[in-house]
Amino acid sequence: MLAAVTVGLGLALSGCAVKHGAAGAKFVPKQRGVLTVATSFLPAPGFWFGPGERLGFEAGLARALAHKLGLARVRVVQVPFAKVTHGRLDGADIGLSQVTPTSEREQTADFSTPYLTAPPGVLARTNVEAVDLNSLRGLRWVVARVSTLTPIVRDVVQPARPPLVVEDRATALDALRSGRADALLLDLPVALGLARAEPGRFQVLGQLSGGESLAAVLPKGSPNLDIVDSSIRALTADGKIAGLASRWLGSQADVPLIRSSS
Amino acid sequence: MLVGSIQTPSGAVLEFLVLFAVILFGPVVIRRFGLPGLIGLLLGGYAIGSHGLDLIKAGDQTVPALGQLGLLYLMFMAGLELDLHMLRRQRTAAVAFGLVAFAVPLGAGLLIGWALGWSVAATVLLGALFSSHTLIVYPTLRDAGLGGNRAVASAVGATVLTDTLALIVLAIVAGTQTASARIGVVLVEITIGFAVLVGVAAFVLPRVVDAALRMWSGDRVARYLVVVVALLATAAIAEVFGIEPIIGAFFAGLSLNRLVPNEGQSMDRVEFFGSAVFVPVFVVSIGLLLDPSVMFTADTLELAGLICLGALGGKAIACLLAGQAFGFSWPERAAMYVLTAPQAAATLAVTLIGFELGLFDTSVVNAVLVLILVSISAAAVLSQRVVTWMPRGVEQRALGEKVLVAATAPGPSDTAMRAATRLARPDGGHGEVVVARMDGDPRPEPAALRALERHVFGHGFDGRLTTAVGPLAETVTRVVCESEPSVVVVDDAEFDTLVPGVPLVVVRLTASGEDTFRVLGSAGNEDAREIARRLDDRRTPRKLRRWRGGPPGDGAARPTDETQSIARR
Repeated sequence: MLAAVTVGLGLALSGCAVKHGAAGAKFVPKQRGVLTVATSFLPAPGFWFGPGERLGFEAGLARALAHKLGLARVRVVQVPFAKVTHGRLDGADIGLSQVTPTSEREQTADFSTPYLTAPPGVLARTNVEAVDLNSLRGLRWVVARVSTLTPIVRDVVQPARPPLVVEDRATALDALRSGRADALLLDLPVALGLARAEPGRFQVLGQLSGGESLAAVLPKGSPNLDIVDSSIRALTADGKIAGLASRWLGSQADVPLIRSSS
Repeated sequence: MLVGSIQTPSGAVLEFLVLFAVILFGPVVIRRFGLPGLIGLLLGGYAIGSHGLDLIKAGDQTVPALGQLGLLYLMFMAGLELDLHMLRRQRTAAVAFGLVAFAVPLGAGLLIGWALGWSVAATVLLGALFSSHTLIVYPTLRDAGLGGNRAVASAVGATVLTDTLALIVLAIVAGTQTASARIGVVLVEITIGFAVLVGVAAFVLPRVVDAALRMWSGDRVARYLVVVVALLATAAIAEVFGIEPIIGAFFAGLSLNRLVPNEGQSMDRVEFFGSAVFVPVFVVSIGLLLDPSVMFTADTLELAGLICLGALGGKAIACLLAGQAFGFSWPERAAMYVLTAPQAAATLAVTLIGFELGLFDTSVVNAVLVLILVSISAAAVLSQRVVTWMPRGVEQRALGEKVLVAATAPGPSDTAMRAATRLARPDGGHGEVVVARMDGDPRPEPAALRALERHVFGHGFDGRLTTAVGPLAETVTRVVCESEPSVVVVDDAEFDTLVPGVPLVVVRLTASGEDTFRVLGSAGNEDAREIARRLDDRRTPRKLRRWRGGPPGDGAARPTDETQSIARR
């Protein structure tokens, strides 16, 4: 009774003015009842593919997020990767496009709590063999200009021959397909998705050590950040995200680690 | 060549460097401002985190993963350090106060969550967060000689109940959030899980750990690892049943409470690693979440104000109600308040899990951090005043709280160690073994001391082993004055020296191979009865029989084969 009176007094004094839920403010979508998601690569094997790009890890994550946020459906818009990483989502609520948060990107965009860990993974043509850093150095590498992984190829792998530099991931994959390059460094979940989609053409040789991750992108200063964060943590806690990753990407733990100190 | 190989440290090495630098310097610096070291760790975590100097990146997995282990360790230590003797001694007051100290803050949390329009799960979790507390200032009161005060004992005993109930609420909330089954199914699963957990903690774990500690009696590292494995195994069992692992860790602590006495050597090691590594890493990992841009906003500060009001107000009301019901004086009620107001261990655990479940956002976490800073600081300051207000009484010690075993070289017999273990174990007590040798006798070799230590620990006895030069009677008198044991076991059937203020139990092994004892000196009737009850327990396989009268003619207790071999060496 006394407690109720005390707390009631406190609430009265505060005017009950806290506009926040415990998990963050209510999600405000750009379009009522719809979660609009920006992504760059369509289709993206393992992430967005199938009829209407409704299959894949990020497609499933988008639907789970919409459900968690109380929205009826998901709408997907294609936005160039360089724009997504800068938080320019062309009217979308969030970006789900295999983006790694970096300090530089955080200058212009907000990032959610990570939904996947993403160490660097070596995607190679199926006829290529390499088991350690030394043999990786002998491969013909291709790197994308806008990727955060390009410095790792340069500083850690240190290829014997200068890598082929292309504009973006799609062009880099074309170089692999056509045989102009042997290997490409990608976020491991992305590499796993591609190897699953084209098993006769690609394989994942291994993963390098690294603590990077993939996160959702929101426009800088978005009021939806807290509730998106809380929703991603809830989907992690209830096993939904692990289930999606296992279904569409396979297990990262099965990919051998290539030690970078050798 | 040299210049070419110089590079900026990065990765795990840099992370560990800044982490341990914070653990080293954070508490030292903050104590200069008269604040508890915990706050230094929280602020240090902020300083190196993504909201501060960004030395530990937002997506970093290493520190939070280590922090998870630290959280398990913290809850384990919370269970291990609880004084079950106090709970037993002030059973009625402790249980009643425990229920009130749980229910009133829980109610306040429910009211606040409901008024703010939070989800049911978040609201109940807020209540659970308010209802627990951490006995951070207990050492201050205990060192001031107030450990035996009935109000202090009630508050300490009540902690077992409040923290257990708070963690049960957490288990239910977490279970409903992480399982896709219906609530009824989840509740049944959790009930079964708790039944298994209680069964393991009450019956299986103490026996298995006791046997393992005896088996590895001479290996300090193995003894410590037995405790760690027991903690992790119980946490894993909890997880199997969908119960948060920290609850398993807390139950493991309660389960091993008597096997790992608070002042014993094993506890020393548990505390050392806990204080040096595991717990600070956890607190620093919480500090990583501290975000001034969130904390110092009107919304967060408003929420923090309400949370402080609910948690601290709820505990105050509980102390007033219980104090009135049991006739405690105002200073005693204040003592109860400074003991139960600080929010740290379970509060941090519940908050972090609420955050990981997506029930709490960063503003709630930051508001709770304000509560922790305020409650600990206020209690630390207030406790200094409270000790000056409190009436001093004679502290009632448990019989087995500190058992001294005195023997002549080469060391105590099995009979003496069995008696000491039986006297200490019911109170979760620890002990000291002193071996007296005559001036001129050779000093024992390190190998002989290690063998003797193995022999002592092999009986499930946790304590220190020392040697002294001089006759046994003189040694006992001196050590009793120095270390103030609660009872002395003398392994010399001829011993007949009275030592004031402490009961002496003289043991011997008879010619027929029977363990016997007699009580000497100033043991009151109650102590003598309790000694007899513990030693002459018919349920134990090898009880000690009482022999009356003076020293027997057939000599002292016989040393064991092992100690005889030590003597030969």
